[in-house]
Amino acid sequence: MFSRILIANRGEIALRVLRACRALGISPVVAYSEADRETRAVQLADEAICIGPAESRRSYLSAASIISAALVTGCEAIHPGYGFLSEDDTFAEMTRAHGLTFIGPPPEVLGRFASKAGTRELLAKHGLPTIPGSHGMLRDDEHALAEAERVGYPVLIKPSAGGGGRGMRMVRTPRELQQAITICRSEARAAFGDDSLYLEKWLEDNRHVEVQVVVDKYGHGVHVGERDCSVQRRHQKIVEEAPSPAIDDAQRTALAEMALKAVVAAGYENVGTLEFLVDGSGSAYFIEINCRIQVEHPVTEMLSGLDLVAEQIRIAAGEPLSVRQSDIRLVGHAIELRINAEDVAHEFRPQAGVVERYLAPGGPGVRMDSHLYSGYEVPPFYDSLLGKLVVWGPDRPAAIERARAALDELIVEGLVTNVPFHKALLGSQAFLDGAFTTNLLDRVGAAAFLASTTG
Amino acid sequence: MTDQPAIPDAATTGALSRLADEILPALIARLDVSDLGELEVRHDGWRIRLRRSLAPAGAAPAGASGAAPAPVAEPPRGATSPAVGYLIPNEKTAVGRKVASGDVLGWVEVLGVRQEVVSPRDGIVGRYLAEAGQAVEYGQELVVIDGARRAPDPTEQPVVAAVAD
Repeated sequence: MFSRILIANRGEIALRVLRACRALGISPVVAYSEADRETRAVQLADEAICIGPAESRRSYLSAASIISAALVTGCEAIHPGYGFLSEDDTFAEMTRAHGLTFIGPPPEVLGRFASKAGTRELLAKHGLPTIPGSHGMLRDDEHALAEAERVGYPVLIKPSAGGGGRGMRMVRTPRELQQAITICRSEARAAFGDDSLYLEKWLEDNRHVEVQVVVDKYGHGVHVGERDCSVQRRHQKIVEEAPSPAIDDAQRTALAEMALKAVVAAGYENVGTLEFLVDGSGSAYFIEINCRIQVEHPVTEMLSGLDLVAEQIRIAAGEPLSVRQSDIRLVGHAIELRINAEDVAHEFRPQAGVVERYLAPGGPGVRMDSHLYSGYEVPPFYDSLLGKLVVWGPDRPAAIERARAALDELIVEGLVTNVPFHKALLGSQAFLDGAFTTNLLDRVGAAAFLASTTG
Repeated sequence: MTDQPAIPDAATTGALSRLADEILPALIARLDVSDLGELEVRHDGWRIRLRRSLAPAGAAPAGASGAAPAPVAEPPRGATSPAVGYLIPNEKTAVGRKVASGDVLGWVEVLGVRQEVVSPRDGIVGRYLAEAGQAVEYGQELVVIDGARRAPDPTEQPVVAAVAD
């Protein structure tokens, strides 16, 4: 086991990793940018070292600065947290070249899962269903009709060139298809100089369900169930919960076992998350893997009692898994609310400034992971996550009640937060019914959603 | 990559992070080294105006007001470290030597690559605050530069005063 670790991140996750270090008897060193001198993790660390200016590119994204900081402070390993360099195989490789351990998958594993398309192909070979689509490009109308028929309507026609959603068209009937193909071809030709098209099944009103896996370097793995992250705005998760209200117990067990089996067979190592879209009929389609600890990992910790960050560090140190699948019992229901510094009333605009007063909620089943304190100044340079309010209850209604009470207790004064959004969400019928889909907020509009639930 | 904390759409986020990470620091640096009191840039519907926070003559010294200090970087008293690494002093700029702004006072070795420690102003090398081979962090003050014997520059008065103790 390591005796000293460099934490190369900021905010709540730096604090979370520091806590895991304390639990394992490891001395934590925190690497920070000039803008983060006054953060909680810096205050609590055994040692803190400034690695660069506020600008991420020259601090949290500077591989050389971080590795140098680990070397001069006598650390044996680097924990990258999430975001920044956490899934960067080049950084992991550099870390190893300097005799240090990267806490996460080894560089060659990160490399293997670096491309989304490549990962889908690899895991499909190991049995994971992916979103059905045409085999290759659409040759002509007849081919397109046959492929759409095979995949099942509605389908999404996509140009091979381009990206970011440009030139795509969703169609529901064969008649629409022919027309759409003609338009898409001419648009793609004009926009990208390439009129090749393919099609994919359109998953309407889908849910985001992800499976947490933990795999040691000896190929032993466990899954720790799933999380539902369907409350999103523009593909950003806002609320996560487990178990998922979208699938039943048989489905959740099947999904988790299938995900674990595929990822172990593909040679994955360390903690990871496999993300799926689940359609209205309960069918799951693999979309991507996250080779890191995730923001929403506490949801799973609340159900399982595991310390996933400690587990991550142990695996990186070469220890075998401390638990077997039969040891893992997932009990009750947990919900995480991301508390962000953003103005819900103004298009969720990010906020910065001094937190004049901060007080975390408490009581049974309430956990607040936050780096805030009264007087702390939220710098404008980074993301707007202020903390994660995580609640546990014996069942979903009990967890929702605790979430409501905890939100009422939470005090964050001095800057605007998204707490009003969470209060509205916890009162909305869609959430209470467990019927939230990933596109609901964007389709209705966040402002209209708020008005409909608070009015 | 839906694991990032919730923030606005990709375009806004990209523009914001570029603003925060690249444009603002660059503008602040420009304003810092200039004699300008204010700088305004317009681009793509964005407008950024930076104004130097000058203490009015006769105002109480900073810190006496009791309010949170303004997030303005203090002018460097001496030469600071450009990076995290090990210090290699420049033998040619020993204590007592006269140096000009921009002179190399040493290097910080980062993974075998040397980065220069540069004098922020003209003066005399007063003292090295770290030894050869010592680990230093980004922004750490490494070399004290004493004021040269020359006509006092009124704009530098507060800086000298800050060094006095």
